[in-house]
Amino acid sequence: MKKITAILVLFIVFNFTSLYAQDTIILKSKELFGALSARHIGPALMSGRINDMENHPTNDRIIYAGTAGGGVWKSNNGGATFNPIFDDYCQSIGAVELDPNDPDNTIYVGTGETWPRNSVSIGDGLYKSVDGGTNWKKIGFEKSERIANIIVNPKNSKEVYVAILGALWGDSDERGVYKSNDGGTTWKKLLYINPKTGCADLAMDPNDPNILYASMWEFRRTGWSFESGGENSALYKSIDAGKTWNKIHNGFPKGKLGRLAIAVAPSDSNILYTVIEAEKDERKGLYRSDDAGESWKQLNNDFGITVRPFYFSRIVVDPRNPEVIVKGGLSGSISRDGGKTFKSLGNMHSDIHDITFDILNSDRMYFGTDGGVYRSWNGGTTCEIAENLPLSQFYHISVDDAEPYNVYGGLQDNGSWYGPSSSPGGINARDWNSVGYGDGFRVLKHPTKNIIYSEMQGAENVWRYDVDNKRDKTIQPLPQKGKPKLRFNWNAPMAISTHQPDRFYMGSQFLHKSEDMGDTWKIISPDLTTNDKSKQAQEDSGGLSKDNSGAENHTTIFTIAESTLDENVIWVGTDDGNVQVTQDGGSTWTNTSVNIIGLPKNIWCYHIEASVFDKGTAYAVFDGHTMNNMNAYAYKTTDFGKTWTNIITDEVIGFVRNIQEDYVNPDLLFLGTEFGLYITIDGGKHWNKFTNNMPAVAVHFIDLQKRTNDLVMGTHGRGAIIIDDISPLREINQEVLHKKVHFFKTKPTVLNEESNFSGSFGSETQFVGQNPTKSVQIKYYLKKRHTFGKMTMEIQDLEGNKLSEVSPGKSKGINIVKWNYRIKQPKVAKGKTFSFGGFSSPKAKAGKYKAVLKEGKETYEHEFEVIYDPKSKLSKEDRELQYKTTMKMYDMTQKLAYMVYELDAILEKATVLKNKKLISKLTTLKKSLVITTGDNYVGSAEPQLREKMADLFSKIAGSYDKPSSSELENLSIISERFSIAKKDYAKIKKKIKFLEELKLKTFDEFVK
Amino acid sequence: MKKITLLLVAVFATFSINAQTADEILNSYFENIGGKEKLKPLKGIKISAEVNQGMVIHLEIYKMKGGNEMTQVTVQGKTLNQGVFDGETLWSTNFMTQKAEKMPAEATVNHKLQMNDFPDPFLDYKEKGYSVTLEGKETIDGAETFKIKLTQTPKTIDGKKVDNISYYFFDTEDFVPIAMQQEITSGPAKGTISEIKFSDYQEVDGLYFAFSMTMGAKGKEGGQAVTIKKIELNPEVDNNMFKFPEEISETKE
Repeated sequence: MKKITAILVLFIVFNFTSLYAQDTIILKSKELFGALSARHIGPALMSGRINDMENHPTNDRIIYAGTAGGGVWKSNNGGATFNPIFDDYCQSIGAVELDPNDPDNTIYVGTGETWPRNSVSIGDGLYKSVDGGTNWKKIGFEKSERIANIIVNPKNSKEVYVAILGALWGDSDERGVYKSNDGGTTWKKLLYINPKTGCADLAMDPNDPNILYASMWEFRRTGWSFESGGENSALYKSIDAGKTWNKIHNGFPKGKLGRLAIAVAPSDSNILYTVIEAEKDERKGLYRSDDAGESWKQLNNDFGITVRPFYFSRIVVDPRNPEVIVKGGLSGSISRDGGKTFKSLGNMHSDIHDITFDILNSDRMYFGTDGGVYRSWNGGTTCEIAENLPLSQFYHISVDDAEPYNVYGGLQDNGSWYGPSSSPGGINARDWNSVGYGDGFRVLKHPTKNIIYSEMQGAENVWRYDVDNKRDKTIQPLPQKGKPKLRFNWNAPMAISTHQPDRFYMGSQFLHKSEDMGDTWKIISPDLTTNDKSKQAQEDSGGLSKDNSGAENHTTIFTIAESTLDENVIWVGTDDGNVQVTQDGGSTWTNTSVNIIGLPKNIWCYHIEASVFDKGTAYAVFDGHTMNNMNAYAYKTTDFGKTWTNIITDEVIGFVRNIQEDYVNPDLLFLGTEFGLYITIDGGKHWNKFTNNMPAVAVHFIDLQKRTNDLVMGTHGRGAIIIDDISPLREINQEVLHKKVHFFKTKPTVLNEESNFSGSFGSETQFVGQNPTKSVQIKYYLKKRHTFGKMTMEIQDLEGNKLSEVSPGKSKGINIVKWNYRIKQPKVAKGKTFSFGGFSSPKAKAGKYKAVLKEGKETYEHEFEVIYDPKSKLSKEDRELQYKTTMKMYDMTQKLAYMVYELDAILEKATVLKNKKLISKLTTLKKSLVITTGDNYVGSAEPQLREKMADLFSKIAGSYDKPSSSELENLSIISERFSIAKKDYAKIKKKIKFLEELKLKTFDEFVK
Repeated sequence: MKKITLLLVAVFATFSINAQTADEILNSYFENIGGKEKLKPLKGIKISAEVNQGMVIHLEIYKMKGGNEMTQVTVQGKTLNQGVFDGETLWSTNFMTQKAEKMPAEATVNHKLQMNDFPDPFLDYKEKGYSVTLEGKETIDGAETFKIKLTQTPKTIDGKKVDNISYYFFDTEDFVPIAMQQEITSGPAKGTISEIKFSDYQEVDGLYFAFSMTMGAKGKEGGQAVTIKKIELNPEVDNNMFKFPEEISETKE
């Protein structure tokens, strides 16, 4: 009996969900979202940060780029174009390694970038593919956070070494050098120093896989400081495959060391290079050993070699020449005399992190920079950017209400930009406009004027750009009498008001308000931060190399939100954990974060979203990653912060940076996390990860365009990503989920009459952002995926006349079917060649139509409307004339087609009967009706009636305008000619006796 | 006690579903579409289909046992032959000149590898030298599927042998494929993943075929739908129509 009880328990556990489901349907992610899909608009022209470049060892066409925030990209054509191959996983990449014994199939990807600036993301382990990157499996190091190198023994694929740099913001013992003897199934830690010291670089002697070099680095970052170097940083060598390790410091500077790089010359493994970060400036720089590490000589401490060691320490030696070495850096440096002297690499985006030489030709080089991948054909002198890597790293995103709306945002190391959400031929590089220098962060459009606000790091400059007149001025708040020095975050907050268009807010430790677009500033708060002095010593930051870029400024305001319902209600969140609210326009402030139960103290408040439904309601999200806390935090208050409710479930993976409330359904929320987008349709009870064409990329900011209901995401590594029209999600509730089919409401669709001129030059190798569709979209929910039996969809007018057939979506969840509001093209007479005009389909008239979905015996109908562009200047009569004329020509074209069909049949019979007279008459007539010779290109024959008729039909049908008088005149000529042809044909036909036996189709059968 | 037995059956059913092997899934698939014994004697099929690209295009597709195949595209009453194969030569009609042209040698070599795939690459896959593995479960179109990897004879791309791999996604309820994915191995789209979705399975003389296919790129919206209007089993064909027309003469109208 006990056994049976156990089985019963098992049964209940296994089936509870399905029993429960009969009452409440909870759809998970792909089941719910169905065909709702994201589109990527870039930009790619400035690309984004690259962490690691990797060659294929035998095929010089194949290059991999491991990116800081945009995943792994593979080129199959020598770097001309790249494809993403790692979209479902963590997008922050440390290292990519191909098994040299099986490079087409076995790939290792170590996640977590390894040049740890303030804004770096985190990794979540080591992945392996055994099928060339189609499928991936995580094989460990879940807590490693950053993986610096992976090396597979070129003589034994089972032996794999991994260098774990490890956690940046806290202690961790998952660091150092690890080895697997079974291709990554089990691992042994070979070299470990302490919880603060990780392996920053690992190299293997190309001639002896038992010889390894490992650079260990002591480092730590907080939200307000960085420290590079310590007693434990050192360079080690092992000659027994990692069993034992010895420091190789003969000739090294005394004292503490920082980040060290190591490179072994592939063509002479006695020659080693290292770059040393030391206590004394004169002892920093490049060192060389000619005896495999027995002794070292300092060669160079130029700026290009010693600059920012934490960010640039990669050394790469030419595979064919040990005297040619390249070092990453602000501009990158190359030496052709064994490291004695260097010159800068050619012009390219600054901040070069990795370099690789082509496997066959050292003149061909690839560079990974803060602005994408560059190629050189002449040894690094001239560099060209790979143009199809949309890796831009947005800190913030916003939209305006133009048509099409524009997307605004600032990029890591790549300035501030705006570009259209739609553009003829797709969103190209040339569609984007620069509106700021330096690192870009928040970019906001003035609510009513053609003015854009943008900024650079630490609000060093805040620009007000007059778009029409191309004038910019800086408007950042300046120090005020009697007030302390202003502390701006690196990513300083700004905000506009829906109540006063000229109002503009900025946050330092104070909230600054301007009523005249930034010309005059008033401080309207006390210091809203903790003002913790111990977090304000940025001048001492950096460790062995001072690094005071402003990136570590702390105890600052980070987010500002004025309620759209009451201008006196303003929310402010700080990077040191305060959530402040005023209900009287800034006279009094309350710190409400103390009311949040379970929230870690001083955790970064990343975003506050003031609800549009109720002025006491707001959402706040918190990001603790700079405190080494990777958990997700999001809370909701409905009483001005007196109480807060946790709205996060354990479905959410990754720390949270942003939340967006829907404008219509208060239970519909969008959450931006470090590993992608999550959506809830029930106010946070369940969260669904959105993965339809949406990589697991860090979503830093989300905006919702009110007119289109498009969700616009600023991702930190894959540019701007849009989910068009999220309105179906508003309608989903239990009633809908229980229906077999549910059509979602759609707004009337405008018949698009815009020109398609685009000029697609360069798109072969350039990224082109996807446009939204201009077609009618019929959206419906299916309870079950349709697999068996027939399913069709017709577009009909309200009387039930069929206009078109469209192919219905079959997904469980949301389906989107497009109709281009065109009816079937006319049936065109058969000739020797094609009549290109005959490929035109007339547009339907504005009005109401219905989509008729048939599944088996069931029929479902949905009515929708198409309208003319309200901007169009055509009158109702003009429209009527255009439609009538078009359809007249449509019918005429089909009548001619039927005539030629009959004629052909008669001619065939006449040929059989050898009726020469009849053949001759028919042939002569036919030659005047359709083209009977030539080809479809420049060998084409003189156009005949069919061609002239179809071309005019196409010209009129394709125009946005009413038919012109010259078109109508042309039409009368064609009509006349057709009348004559019809008469001639009737004469011939009258005399024919065998018509009956030809069993011709009727006209209706023929055009069907 | 009866109730408990029922429960037990239910429990074991759950377990057995979890323990499916690739071969079991394929066996269920063949059973569900009409049985191997019906599939094996098939000599060929003729598919009449429509593609709607704003303009409706009619297709007649012939696929014969032994490898002969042809797609006839009819536009404005003119028929263009595409992807025609006679066992030796792969050819198509040029759109501009409307004359037959041979496809690149490598495309022909790779096409030859599929000669034995009719009527189904999974049928007797071991004898064909193919291998099949179950890669786990994946959600496609909101439905749970078994992901099955099919490895066929390596293809030649730019003179190099490359693996010939495709993934089929079998619905866990019906055991029929609802999607197929394959990496594009040549041309400008090389390296991206193509995807075909299958639905509208309907019976033709005791065998089930997908009457709707949508071809596109994996994970991307859009894709081109092919709607099958009619399937004819063992059609009468003149094998000469698959032959490459060595000399083209102007046909009399």
